[in-house]
Amino acid sequence: MAAKKPLLIIALLLALAGGFYLYINIIFPPVRCEAAKHPEAPEQYADCLECHLKVTPATAQNWRESKHGVLLVKCVVCHGLPDGKGSVPFAAKPGVQDICVRCHEPAMKQMVEKYGAELECDSCHPHHQNPMHRRAFEAKKPSKTSF
Amino acid sequence: MAVSRREFLKGSAAAVALSALGAPVLAATGSAGPDKWVKGVCRYCGTGCGVLIGVKGDKAVAIKGDPNNHNEGKLCQKGALLIPAVVYAKDRITDPMIRKGGKKSPLEKVSWEEALDFAAKHFRETIQKDGPQAVAYYGSGQALTEESYLANKIWKAGLRSNNVDGNPRLCMASAVAGYLTSFGKDEPMGTYNDIDNATCFFIIGSNTSEAHPILFDRIARRKESSPDVKIIVADPRRTNTARIADMHVPFKPGTDLALLNGMANVIFREELDNTRFIDRYTAFKKGTGEAASLEEYKAFVAEYTPEKVQEISGIPAADVVKIAKLFAESTAAVSLWCMGINQRSKGVWANNLIHNLHLITGQIGRPGATPLSLTGQPNACGGVRDTGCLAHLLPAGRMVENEQHRNQMEDFWGVPRGTIQPKMGLHTVALFENMVQGNVKALFIHCTNPAHTLPHLNKYTPALEKAFVAQTECFMDAETLKYADVVFPAAFWCETDGVYGCTERRYALTEQAIPPLGNSRPVIQVLMDFAKRVGVDPKLMPYKNAADIWEEWRKLSKGSPYDFFGITRNRLKKESGIKWPCPTEDHPGTNLRYVRGEDPLVPKDHPDRIFFYGSPNGKATIWLRPHQPPFEPADAEYPFVLTTGRVIDQWHTATMTGKVPELHRAYPSAFVEINPDDAQKLGVKNGDQVVLETRRDKMTFPARITDTCMPGLVFCPFFDKAKLVNRLFHDAVDAASKEPEYKICSTKVYKQA
Repeated sequence: MAAKKPLLIIALLLALAGGFYLYINIIFPPVRCEAAKHPEAPEQYADCLECHLKVTPATAQNWRESKHGVLLVKCVVCHGLPDGKGSVPFAAKPGVQDICVRCHEPAMKQMVEKYGAELECDSCHPHHQNPMHRRAFEAKKPSKTSF
Repeated sequence: MAVSRREFLKGSAAAVALSALGAPVLAATGSAGPDKWVKGVCRYCGTGCGVLIGVKGDKAVAIKGDPNNHNEGKLCQKGALLIPAVVYAKDRITDPMIRKGGKKSPLEKVSWEEALDFAAKHFRETIQKDGPQAVAYYGSGQALTEESYLANKIWKAGLRSNNVDGNPRLCMASAVAGYLTSFGKDEPMGTYNDIDNATCFFIIGSNTSEAHPILFDRIARRKESSPDVKIIVADPRRTNTARIADMHVPFKPGTDLALLNGMANVIFREELDNTRFIDRYTAFKKGTGEAASLEEYKAFVAEYTPEKVQEISGIPAADVVKIAKLFAESTAAVSLWCMGINQRSKGVWANNLIHNLHLITGQIGRPGATPLSLTGQPNACGGVRDTGCLAHLLPAGRMVENEQHRNQMEDFWGVPRGTIQPKMGLHTVALFENMVQGNVKALFIHCTNPAHTLPHLNKYTPALEKAFVAQTECFMDAETLKYADVVFPAAFWCETDGVYGCTERRYALTEQAIPPLGNSRPVIQVLMDFAKRVGVDPKLMPYKNAADIWEEWRKLSKGSPYDFFGITRNRLKKESGIKWPCPTEDHPGTNLRYVRGEDPLVPKDHPDRIFFYGSPNGKATIWLRPHQPPFEPADAEYPFVLTTGRVIDQWHTATMTGKVPELHRAYPSAFVEINPDDAQKLGVKNGDQVVLETRRDKMTFPARITDTCMPGLVFCPFFDKAKLVNRLFHDAVDAASKEPEYKICSTKVYKQA
């Protein structure tokens, strides 16, 4: 009997882990809106933001308040199209040397010159996070000319 | 926590999987590792960003921003996606085509010889029968400078017809007339450098963010680097441009003339005017052209009290005062405007009134202080305005109706005096009107799509049905092709070489990166082959290539107020754009035009710091221009104002951006923006089909309920060929510039039954 005890504990732990996995999956379904996948029919074409404000509100809001958002550098410019039909390959995490470089090459060169190494930009400049984007372009101080 | 971790892990796994998928796609498109990078200018808007075209073998495989041009390596999403989707679009036209059995027969592929002979025969016979005034050229602010210069010469000196106009008439003509009447010569005195030095931006009638994204980026960076910088956006729509604004000032569409005069009034009342500048550098004129005095001007603007402006425009009186003070008290103010000011029945006046503000405050001729008109197309400034490729112009600021100017051009071109007709040709709207009436019988269209872009389309498309139409075009889905009798496949953008001149007087060369696709040919070749067949003396066109034409145009500019003699082809190959005036090869180009020590055309020993050498008295003109309502304001029967414009993802008639899935899917079709208050009153929900009914036509659009539009205003983009919104518009034009009022017409709005 004593030999079976560890097995029982392992089985119990497995059951608990499985139960927890099921619980998470049921309570927090992976897709939280009507669109289970990217709508691709021509009549469903729309600006990414329209859907993503509902589906991934935090990411959508972060983008909107970032510099890319203010300047309307839209999702597809870096992430490509979900069905891969555009010229930019679809990637949840766009490659620095493939995508970022297209606009930021001069800045990237400067960084390499300064620090002497090829860095991953997003380790210091997370693409969507507000803190790095410093609530972009917002006025902070009153002007000398205001009254 | 469990959820975020779970999502994080799943996300990371997906990212890894997808980046792995992404790599082969990138390799397949060949964008990894081009053999060489060829320098050029973006094909889209008037910002004129420098690009580098990645070439592998004889294919264009990649594009990136030119770090040495003003855009410092950046491109907007349109420019960044230009290659390969647009260059290798499936519907590129690669063979000449003609309709053998009239307009209703299909376009059939033929040889170049047959197409050229077919077109030339019609033009030749028309000229023989009805005279040179029965043929016309309709060009484009997207054509290369060499093409526009050549077409202008062929028509005015070769065929002896001044019927040379083009789509810049639909977008920049009011800005041209504005600069001409206020300063004596066209083109801005400032440059994009002024954006980096300005402490106040007055943006009116421009959605810079969507129409000129890279300039918007520069303005935003200026604001970011110095948050004290003030940005005022005056626009009836709260566009994305207003997101960085300190003040967004919505006003009743078409009442901006009252605002501008009201600002002038406040500036005098608050004693913020620059009397020394006014005395030294300006003169006053009444609308009739007779001279006026400062006192008369002050009395004139005194009528526009903030309260009166509020009554006319709906802008709170306090805001009128605030804007005027921000503008005048700032150390350096830049005004930026675009089609909201130009495409108006009083567009020239509105331009003059903006210049007035800069002249009474002296906000001009210093870094960061300038009235800078934004241009819609990549080569409207350099290609069309400077080469004089419009019905009333000759190259380098000369006028058709000035005999001395005609003689200068006749001598330079080596044709007998009296060759160029003394009467100006037909401006765009008149041209198409004359085609409807049958007076103009043959039209050569280059690089533009009038069946999509003319105002009051129902009135003017019969012109294209009636006249013989020869057209150069790259893409099969251009609406105008429906009416073309001959189609010449044009080499596209980087398949030929030529110069573009952008908003800031910057000339930059796009070098040939790849050979023309299929049987397409550079348009200068097409124009010369066509003209020779029509009967133009080949001696008028002694050019082997575009560089020869540039050389002639460069020499012609020497000694003129448009002097760019120093911008040689070799320099253009080496440098990423040079700003004229640039009279010698060692001159670096000019940032502050009309300013002593900066502008080489102002004598070094000139007694004054600023010299407006374009005008006969050397002074700029402050015009007494009253407020006037738009041609068709909203009324009881048609209670809404309809306006049109751009979205960032599409450009003009979408023959290019429509080929880029990334862009097209964001805005695949036109819609109508309606304010939530109006929508509620009309019982309209998001996505409902809404009818816009004007005095011309009615059309249905899906509704977008958004507070971008102020109540009483609806907006439609004009890119969608399935919804030609210009069918709804009238054809009223500005009396001076002849530019149509695309920005304002009255309409009924109701939900489709």
